[in-house]
Amino acid sequence: MPPVPEQGATPAERATPAEIRKKGGEGIVIRWLDGHASTFGARYLRGRCPCAQCVSETTGIRLVSEEHIPPGVAIEAARTVGNYALHFSFTDGHTTGIYSFEYLRRVCPCEVCA
Amino acid sequence: MTEMAITESRVLDALRSVMDPDLHRDIVSLNFIRNMRIEGETVSFDVNLTTPACPVKERLREQSRQAVLSGVPGVRDVRVNMTAEVRRPQAPETSRIRGVKNIVAVGSGKGGVGKSTVAANIAVSLARSGAKVGLLDADIYGPSIPIMMRSSGEPEIKDQVIQPVEAHGVKLMSMGYLSGEMPLIWRGPMAHKALQQSLLGVNWGELDYLVVDLPPGTGDVHLTLVQTVPVTGAVIVSTPQDVGLQISMKTLRMFQQTKVPILGILENMSYYICPHCGARDEIFGHGGVAHAAESLGVPLLGEIPLDSAIRKHSDTGTPVVLAEPDSSSARAFGEITGKLAQQISIQAFRSIPLTIIEE
Repeated sequence: MPPVPEQGATPAERATPAEIRKKGGEGIVIRWLDGHASTFGARYLRGRCPCAQCVSETTGIRLVSEEHIPPGVAIEAARTVGNYALHFSFTDGHTTGIYSFEYLRRVCPCEVCA
Repeated sequence: MTEMAITESRVLDALRSVMDPDLHRDIVSLNFIRNMRIEGETVSFDVNLTTPACPVKERLREQSRQAVLSGVPGVRDVRVNMTAEVRRPQAPETSRIRGVKNIVAVGSGKGGVGKSTVAANIAVSLARSGAKVGLLDADIYGPSIPIMMRSSGEPEIKDQVIQPVEAHGVKLMSMGYLSGEMPLIWRGPMAHKALQQSLLGVNWGELDYLVVDLPPGTGDVHLTLVQTVPVTGAVIVSTPQDVGLQISMKTLRMFQQTKVPILGILENMSYYICPHCGARDEIFGHGGVAHAAESLGVPLLGEIPLDSAIRKHSDTGTPVVLAEPDSSSARAFGEITGKLAQQISIQAFRSIPLTIIEE
């Protein structure tokens, strides 16, 4: 069971990572300042890429989602972007997404958040 | 009666009662006390603060002295030497500029609010306090820092690295240098590349603070800055006029969205003192910025008057804090710089290391 989010955490704390771990190419685990932990699989992340190729800039409709992504996709590299986001290079060659921490917290796949 | 010996641990215990007012911790657990020496009845030590521009330096010195004099029996004389070492926020080594401890962005909602003047005066004030300071003019629309700092000539390039120009004790780089006399007519990708080069391709050396004068508003340059380097925090310059203030809020929110802490907001052209009769006139209204700062929970760094001396010295290339250090405008800048340095120290202590642990 994922840890229960601490009561009284501010929205900023909820979306600020305390620790980021990359599990090889399989995915990442972010532990947030409020104590919550989110585990993201590579395919899950790739299917939620927020870039303009994956989400229409004019309509906001998602163009590329998880079902379009081959099951074996992995994270080749991950790096931080300034203070606010993560950038991933996926093994399918896609590298244009910048995942803000605020966005990552919003799409946390755990039972409590989903 | 046998007197208790004066020991280092007794002195440290006494100093635990002295609190840093910004970091809300005592100066012993903050590891500020250095080089303690006990000779007979005399105790001497350094208090190593987080910034040479600390506005409460003298208060902390006196409090430390009193704490030891009254808290440790047998001490007759206490010599406190105030030193400073600017701390850096924790950030991954790979993404920051080597040798640069803090990057401070100066932004505004619209043009013409005196952002560059403020950036130049803050940079020179920090340098005057003893800090190592750089100033990057990233305003591609109107790079004015070289004029305000009276730096002529262009930076040299050695081994493909730009050597910054030095003026008034501050290392300078302007994106205006990249095009000489020609205006910078750049589309997004060019501005992006030019800013990256101005940040990472410059031999800044060791800096405590790198002040970045941004273009007005929000745009490509801002995004590139926050995506290229971990910015310690941002200062928003506004005028009391409502329109300017409302637009400033957009810039403020952009920084918040990209997790750049807001170090504070300051009101420029706050009021006008008539040079003939001394009357104070609040041309653009007053108190708007203070009110906004309060409702947003953002520190108000201060208010700067509309003073022809500030304009005159900017135009002739010697910021007012150097040209007329005792003027009320220079003092306003000095106070703002102190408060800003405090906020930067607070952020450096608060920051969380943003590194990806590979497993």
